Order: sequence, then C-alpha cells, then structure tokens
Amino acid sequence: MFTKILIANRGEIAVRIMQTCRRMGIQTVAVYSEADFRSLHVVKADEAVPLGGARPAESYLNKEKILQVALDTGCQAIHPGYGFLSENADFADMVTAAGIVFIGPSGPVIARLGDKIASKKLAIQAGIPTVPGHVKALSSEAEAGAVAAEVGYPILLKPAAGGGGKGMRTVTRPEDLASALRLCRQETRKAFGDDAIFIERYIEAPRHIEIQVMADAHGHAISLGERECSIQRRYQKIIEESPSVALDTEARGRMGRMACRLALEAGYVNAGTVEFIFDADKQFYFLEMNTRLQVEHPVTEMVTGLDLVELQLRVANGEPLPLKQEDVRLKGWAFEARVCAEDTERNFVPSIGLITRYAEPAGSRIRVDSGVRAGSSVHVFYDSMLAKVITWGGDREQARLKMVDALNGYHIEGIKTNVDFANRVICHPSFIKGDLSTGFIARHLADAHPASLMPEADIHFMAIAATLIYHLRENLIHRSLLPLQAQVGGAIPAKRQFTYVTKSNGAVLDIEIEPQASQDQWRVRVNDAVYDTITPPMEYYRRRLKLTIGNATHYFRLHYSGNFIEVAFCGMVKPFEIYTPKEWQLARFMPKPAIKAMDNVLRCPMPGLMVAINVQAGDRVFKGQELLTIESMKMETAVASPVDGEVAAVQVTPGETVDTGSVLISFK
Amino acid sequence: MGSSELLEILIQKSNQALAGGGEARMAKQHAAGKLCARERIDRLLDTGSFIEMDRFKTHRCVDFGMDAEKIPGDGVITGQGLINGRQVFVFAQDFTVFGGSLSLSHAEKICKVMDTAMKVGAPVIGLCDSGGARIQEGVMSLAGYADIFLRNVMASGVIPQITAIMGPSAGGAVYSPALTDWIFMVEKTGYMFITGPEVIKAVTRESVTKEDLGGAMAHNTVSGVAHFAEPDDAACLERIRELLSFLPRNNMEEAPRRPSSDDPERRDEALRDLVPADPNKPYDIRDLIRSNLDDGYFFEVQALYARNIVVGFGCLGGATVGIVANQPLAMAGCLDINASVKGARFVRFCDAFNIPLIVYEDVPGFLPGTHQEHGGIIKHGAKLIYAFCEATVPRITVITRKAYGGAYCVMNSRHIRGDLVLGFPTAEIAVMGAEGAVNIISREQIQGAADPEAERKRLVQEYRTKFANPYKAAELGYIDDVIDPADTRPHLIKALRMLSTKRDVNPPKKHGNIPL
Repeated sequence: MFTKILIANRGEIAVRIMQTCRRMGIQTVAVYSEADFRSLHVVKADEAVPLGGARPAESYLNKEKILQVALDTGCQAIHPGYGFLSENADFADMVTAAGIVFIGPSGPVIARLGDKIASKKLAIQAGIPTVPGHVKALSSEAEAGAVAAEVGYPILLKPAAGGGGKGMRTVTRPEDLASALRLCRQETRKAFGDDAIFIERYIEAPRHIEIQVMADAHGHAISLGERECSIQRRYQKIIEESPSVALDTEARGRMGRMACRLALEAGYVNAGTVEFIFDADKQFYFLEMNTRLQVEHPVTEMVTGLDLVELQLRVANGEPLPLKQEDVRLKGWAFEARVCAEDTERNFVPSIGLITRYAEPAGSRIRVDSGVRAGSSVHVFYDSMLAKVITWGGDREQARLKMVDALNGYHIEGIKTNVDFANRVICHPSFIKGDLSTGFIARHLADAHPASLMPEADIHFMAIAATLIYHLRENLIHRSLLPLQAQVGGAIPAKRQFTYVTKSNGAVLDIEIEPQASQDQWRVRVNDAVYDTITPPMEYYRRRLKLTIGNATHYFRLHYSGNFIEVAFCGMVKPFEIYTPKEWQLARFMPKPAIKAMDNVLRCPMPGLMVAINVQAGDRVFKGQELLTIESMKMETAVASPVDGEVAAVQVTPGETVDTGSVLISFK
Repeated sequence: MGSSELLEILIQKSNQALAGGGEARMAKQHAAGKLCARERIDRLLDTGSFIEMDRFKTHRCVDFGMDAEKIPGDGVITGQGLINGRQVFVFAQDFTVFGGSLSLSHAEKICKVMDTAMKVGAPVIGLCDSGGARIQEGVMSLAGYADIFLRNVMASGVIPQITAIMGPSAGGAVYSPALTDWIFMVEKTGYMFITGPEVIKAVTRESVTKEDLGGAMAHNTVSGVAHFAEPDDAACLERIRELLSFLPRNNMEEAPRRPSSDDPERRDEALRDLVPADPNKPYDIRDLIRSNLDDGYFFEVQALYARNIVVGFGCLGGATVGIVANQPLAMAGCLDINASVKGARFVRFCDAFNIPLIVYEDVPGFLPGTHQEHGGIIKHGAKLIYAFCEATVPRITVITRKAYGGAYCVMNSRHIRGDLVLGFPTAEIAVMGAEGAVNIISREQIQGAADPEAERKRLVQEYRTKFANPYKAAELGYIDDVIDPADTRPHLIKALRMLSTKRDVNPPKKHGNIPL
C-alpha cells in the first residue's frame, strides 16, 4: 500500500480522504491556495504545501505545480477528489508519466468518457439505451435546425465537454434555437475552451438515478447499488438517497450489469458512476459516466458498509477488488443533504464571509463530512458546498426523519446556508411519498413560504419553542433585577399561569404556559391543543434547543432578532412576536412596517468578481435588461436592471471584487 | 353628602382625567400610528404597576379664556411604577390635551416626579409628545422649562434619565431631552429641532422636511443627538425596558448582575481566525464582542452613528459591562471627531453608574484631513482621553491588532489608569504603521540605495517583524499578557472578578474642565 499520497483538492472531500488515509496508516499531503491557508484540510493533513493565488487557475488547477509538490514531498499517488482536476485527462497522463499513481482511471479513458458524444457511442456499443438525439457535434445553425426537427422539440443543447449543467439549454420552439445555440457556444467556450455542442431530446422532469461501479485492473467490475439524485436546482444536486424508490431488485440488477459492462468496455479502472435518467414511463437512458468519486458517494457507503476511498486506494495500488458482486449487500436506506453557502431566499445567490458559529449535528446514524469549522472563511473563488449530512435508517422514513432532526440541529452562523431549504424539501409531502423528479424544486418549492403545507402541530411546536424561550428569558431578567427578596409590602404571589399572544406571519396563537411541579416541565396550551413539554437546562447562547413535546423529541434553532424570535424547524423559518395580552391589545395601533421605496441604484445582489459590464453612463436601459455579469463560486450571473431609465454612472470596473449591497450602477 | 356620593365624585373626576382630550383626539392619535399617553405608560411599565401622581392638577391660567378650559392632568401624566420589578418614575406628555403643550402646572408635575426620583434614587423616563410651550401662559411656561433643565442637570450622573421622543419636540423643549442620558426616537412620528422648517425657510430660504431636519434618522445617523431609532411606539418602549435592565437605579448602586448558564470558561476557537492576517483587511469587531459576552448578547447603543466606534452593553460572567470598541469595518476603525465624542460620552456614563468598561482596540490612529483638524479633532479627541483618564470603574483593554500612535494612548492604555491590557498575538503596538515609519526613519537610507523600492520594502518588512507584535510592549509591561484569542472570554471574566472590589478616586475638586 502507498505510504504517502497527495490530495489535490480542498474542503470536505480533502478532509474525508484524509480520514481514510489516517485509518490505513497513509500519510497525506495537502495543497492549498492563498485564501485557504487556515482551512480545515490544511490543518488535518500531515503536511501542507501552498500553491499560490486564490483563483483556482493559480492553485487547485495548476497541474505542473501540484505534480511538482507531489514529487518534492515524495508522494506515491495523487487523489484528485471531485471537481478541479479529477476529470482532467491531461493531468492524469502527466501524473502517470511522472511515475506517480493517479487515483482514478487512466487519461485516455477519462478523455473518452468525458466527451459526451464519444461516451454515448460507447454506451450504445455496450447495449445501454440512450436518449434519442444526434450523436455528433453540430457544425452549423442549419444543421442544428434539421437535427432538432428530426429529434423533436423540446430539445436540449448540450456541450460535449464539461458537466454540472453548465452551458446546457432547453429549447422548446424552433425560433429560439439560433440564439440559444449562440449563447450555449459562448458559455461553453468560456467554461471549457471548446464549443462542440450536440442535441438530445429533452426529457421533461425525469428522475436522475446513477449506479456506482468499482473496477480493478484485473478485469473485475462490480456495481454498488444506485443513488437517486433527482432533487436538483440549477443542475446541482441537493438531496441524494440510496436506494431509489423507483427501482426494484430486477431493474437494479439489470442497470448494475449494464454499468459494469460499460466500465469493462471502456477499460475503466477505479471508482466511477454511470448516470441515467428515468422518464415518467420508467424507461431509463444513459446520461454520462463520471470518472471520479462522486460528492454523494457516502450514501452508497452507508448502505453497503464499504469505504469507497479505501477501495479506490487499493485498486489504484493494483490490488484486485476485495469483494465480488454477490458479496455486495445493500442494507437500509441513506440520505445525503448538501450544505451550501447560499441565500435561498434570493434565488440561491452565493453567500460569503466568516463562519462565526458552527455546530454540527451528531449522533448514531448521522455522519457529517465537513470542510469547515467555526472561524472558516467562505470565499467567492470556490464551490459553495461546505459540508454534507448523511443519515441512515432501517427504512426510508426512518432515514428521512433522522435527516430532519439532523438538519434541525445544524447551526451555521455568519453566512447564509441552504440547511433549512434542504429540510423543507425532505419534509414536503411529495418527497415523503417518493414522488421525485429533477423538476421537483421548481414545481413544489418555488414559493418561499408555503405555510399551508406545514402541519399545524409543527407550527404549534415552533410557537411553543419561541414562547417558552421568551418566557424563560424575561423571567430570568426580571428575577435578576429584583433588588431584594423581601420588598416593602411583600412579594406578589407567583403566578401559576402565564398567557401570551404569539404572532407569526399573520397567524395569531393564544398560548398559556403553566409551570408544573418539576422545574423543567410545562403544560402549554396553544389555542385548544395542550402539549406537555420538557425543557432541558437552558443555555441561551446555544442557538439550538431540544424540546420534548408529548412523547417526541424535537430540535429547533432559535435566534433573537430585534423584537422577534426566529425559529427554524423542519425547513420552515418563521419569526415569532410574543406579546402579553396587554401588549397585544396595544399592538393593533402600531403602524404596519412600511416597505422601503425602490431607490434608483442597482445594488450588488451577491459577492463576487465583476466579469463584464454591458452599459455605460448615458445609456438608456429598460427594466429586466442584463446590465452586468458577476462571477461567484464558479457561477456567472447576469444582473438585470431594476428600472427603466438612463444610466447616470457605472461605479464598478471589470475585475473588481464586489460585495453584497454595494452600489454598482446609479440611474437618473 | 353620604360616602357613596363622595366616592361618586371621585370616580367622576377620575374618569374625566382618564378621558384625556376625548375620544376623537385619541382616535386621531391612534390613526397617526401613535399610542396615547396612558397606553404608553401601560406598555412601558410592568402590568398594573403604575401609580399616578397629580392626577387632578390643572393649570392656573386665566387669559385668552383658558380658565374655561381645564382638563385634569393638564397634558402630562406623571407617576411611578415598576420595570422588571424595579422602581422607576415616568412622565408622559399627552398630545390630546392642549397638544401636550407645557404650562407651568405641567412643568411642576414633571419637576415633582424628578424630585421624588432623586430622593429615592430611581431612574426617570420622559415620554415626549408636545407641541411646545403653552403660549397663553407666556413666561410662566418658559419658567417651567428652565425648572426642568435645572433638575435634569442636578440629576445627571445621579439617576439614569431616559427620554423617548414620540411626537414633536421643538424649540426650548429639546434641551431637556438633550440633557438626559439616552434619547430614543420613534421613526416617522418623533422629531426634534430648535427651529422648524418654516423658520428655516424664512431665514435662510433653505427648504427641508421635518423628517430630514430632525427625524429619528437625522438624529441617529447625522447629528448623533439620539441614541436609538425605533420603528414604532411599542418597539421603542420595549427597548427602554431592555436598556434599563443593564443599568443600576442610581450612582450609589452596583450595576445589575444577571446569572447566566453560559459557562465563564467557554472558549471560542473561531476567534483565532477572526482577525485577518493582512493588517489592511477589515473584520467585524462585533463578532468578537458577541462571542465574548454571556449568551452572545450585545446591546448596541448608537449603532447608526460614527460606526467606526462601537459602544453598548452586555454581561460577562453575569456582570453588566460597557463595551467600547474600534470597528475596523468602518473607516478602518480610525478615530474621528464623531467617534471620539460618541465614545467619550459613553465612557462617562458607564463611569458615573459603576459599569465596568471593556475596550477592544484595533485603531490605526486619528483620521487625518483639514475637515477633521478644522472641525476640532484636537479638542474632541481630547474628550475621549479625558473620559478614560477620569474613569474609576474597572477598565480592561483587549488589543486585537493595531494600536498606533496617539490613539494607542487614548484607548484605555495602562498609562491612563487602564487596569489590565491584554494583547492578541496579532497585536501591533507602534507609533505608526510600518510604511509610514520607514519613510520617516530611513528616508536617506532608501534614497541612497541602488534600488530604493526594494530597500524600502526590506525595511518595511524589518520594521514589521520588529514592531508588529505585542512583545515589545509586553516587555515594557504596557501589556499585561498576550493571550490566545480563543480564551478571551475566560480572561475577561477572571479580570472582572479580580477588579470587582476596585476602589479608585479622583482628587477632590468642584469639577474638572473637560474640553467642550
């Protein structure tokens, strides 16, 4: 076995690979960019070597430098993780040529499978159904028109290179084809340096299911079950699970065999993933093969009990696979939720900054793969994923409920994250039923506050949490300020019942708190429902609260913010205002908070780098016109004009780093 | 007359007083998004604790037909009650009665409340909503104002005085609030100015709205007259309750202690990464403050004004403390005129009311520029020095990064009676930043070098390694200890415990002469 390897990656995956290495007694070398010098992966490695600037091109994509570091530190192998150089054939070749083992398939195999057209041909060869389309790069607009007509609208324009949905475009009408193709080319050229585009039939709202395969250099390939990754936004997966409700044993076996056949056909060695899409009629089609360890590999690990990184290392070391297909046992159900730094309220724009507080969920059947800790900085330069939460259960519902609890207790402060959004997804009735598709979020979660979806009891639980905390805190302050125990005139006898009116997003609840004999027990009445509640010893600085209501234990996150308490529970984040009956009576006279008038400036919606500015002072612009482009966390976003008017001044220049809220353009 | 009839008269008179200016006027007050005076008091005080004084007092004016118009209470409701179980005194002007205008009787009621508050040593809260002087009373009304001013000054530093501007406050009426310790303003409805827009228009032809001239935002962001801007009456009154929970009732009492389940030994390793390695990168000092304080709770004061200095209250190990901190997020944390004045006033308040001070220092110096110099930064900066020098409460400083030049001396250094100075490993105590210093000290050496730029860079680096650390100052004893940032909270709490019996006095004098 190797004694020392280099990990050419950052964040959670670097940390996760190191964990397996440590267990196997392999030394690790981390590489890092300027911006990452205090990152967790740097701390966790046995050695860490700086690469250079914060931008990926100067650091994590700098092949020569990374290879040089591997040679200098005496590493026998390089693990590329996912993203960055993991599917870069040149890099794999360079590494191999330098006499170092690349932990992954060989360069030519990566190149062949990385080309969507070539891989599709290979799949057809292996007898795998593929999406109807044209397995050839388009040469002209005219050809595109003809091919599109043949395949039938709606169609999907797909770059031959790349992945992650970048450059992909759906076209529903022939008249939109030309402009879509142009944009698609532009984007693809910029992202991958290549503008080969091909056409496929667009399959509406499919499921996304993938098969994990593992192949060794001795001609063996095994499949390790499937993962369903249908829950996506902007082609980025958010929730993954294994197994999938859409497959039965027979289908699973059939797809697994196909995937293995493809791997063998391609001469594939190491871990790989064959992705399929499932249409509404349960027909499946080959999508692509990913030649790396996937982000969502832990769900497979949870149900198979295997360590995929360990298998990768063994296979890369030339060992045969330690198990045969019939040894693979799938047990129970696993979910993964990706925790990303983004503002889900504002169209998932990235959120950057310092993580000032951080508390992970922990416990049996919960695994957290994280690349951050309290004190970590989140930059604009890299992917927004911070961590992954993985839970396991005997069946799907058990695993799901575990995930709900885990996400309820995941506290990250300083930046915005999608933790509650992810929770909202898995608490959705359609998700619970297993009715999934890649269009799930657009269909079910476009509305940010679907209050009606939430069971009434859950809202009551949140109200109880908020009101109890308020009550306890007020009482504490009150008691601490009573200067003398015995005042002139004596003390007023302690009240046995406290009444509050709790308001949240228009809903008004009458709440009565009745302390019980034991100090931590309360009988709480919400409207007409009565709940027996047990509070743990209060530690207010902890933003997480565990309450036993009835017979079940629930986790909440709470945050005092101005005059209200914000409670996060099961994906819902609600502000609660708590009044005594007297205060409530007077509250009705208070004016409604005024909505601030739109000002005539364009403010930066997200932190990032200014890529392009399309207008200058004096230009007339219309509302919705794309005025400039910001790049952040690998994504380019066009920013539209908020008004019709004339540009008074452009206050940024391309290449400048901009922050949320800063004024970019002012209008007359 | 039988006893039941006597009681009937009492009830009748009381009802008359409770009715204030009548239903129509009260409805108007509500329509404007304002509470009526009695409702405000109810909302402010613990439920049912209000006891009124002078309910039946009326004015004595006979001119302009005023003798026919008498409403018991005369436009101000005064009395006492409890906030979180503690004694306070309160007066609330009633806009529905003569527009809340101030007559001599009205003023007398306020004075009586203040005198009683002084006698028993309890805070006074004034809820202002008044059209100004009662013109019909002429000079009697002015006398009323002056009587109040005198009491404000006499009470200053003895009992906390709080004012909420919940309606108009114009002309001479603004000076009573200005003399109190804390001014709260309600957005949209509260405004205060010496001369209103009409007068300004007539005199200078300048046209300005009431809101822009003296609204909550104007005084919270531009003038610095007010300390809090609240969206509505209820929020404003709630905030007053909260502020009071940090204050003692008078200057003879210790600041309140609030037991907390937050571990005094709690460490926070995130703090090791808070201060950026690059000395020019900003960070939010409030992240450090919140991490240190009990339950992560920081009650910031004057948050919208002179953001380059952060002041406010919190608890450490249960003890109330006042926080003064340079804010690298705004103007790199430089001290300018506004920041100096804001800081100085806060320091003096804490000192007057026995609230220990925790100072977080990251200051590159005083802000340069003609605007500052001609604006009197010398005089105003001196106020901050004066305030710190004079303060006898426990005073602890944490230097997180820069402590340059005169600003180092000012920010509660050991030399001006700071009790304990702790430095982070990132602390740099020097006369100025490396670049500036090298340009002065080694000008000739740089000019004479073959490659002046390279030589300058080398010297800057040399200076930095030599002085950009806390150890030079620690060797001299100017810094008591260099600490792991993760341990700031335990260090501060232990220091506070050690200093809890501190006794220090200033030489006897009539009063000092702070550079005003």
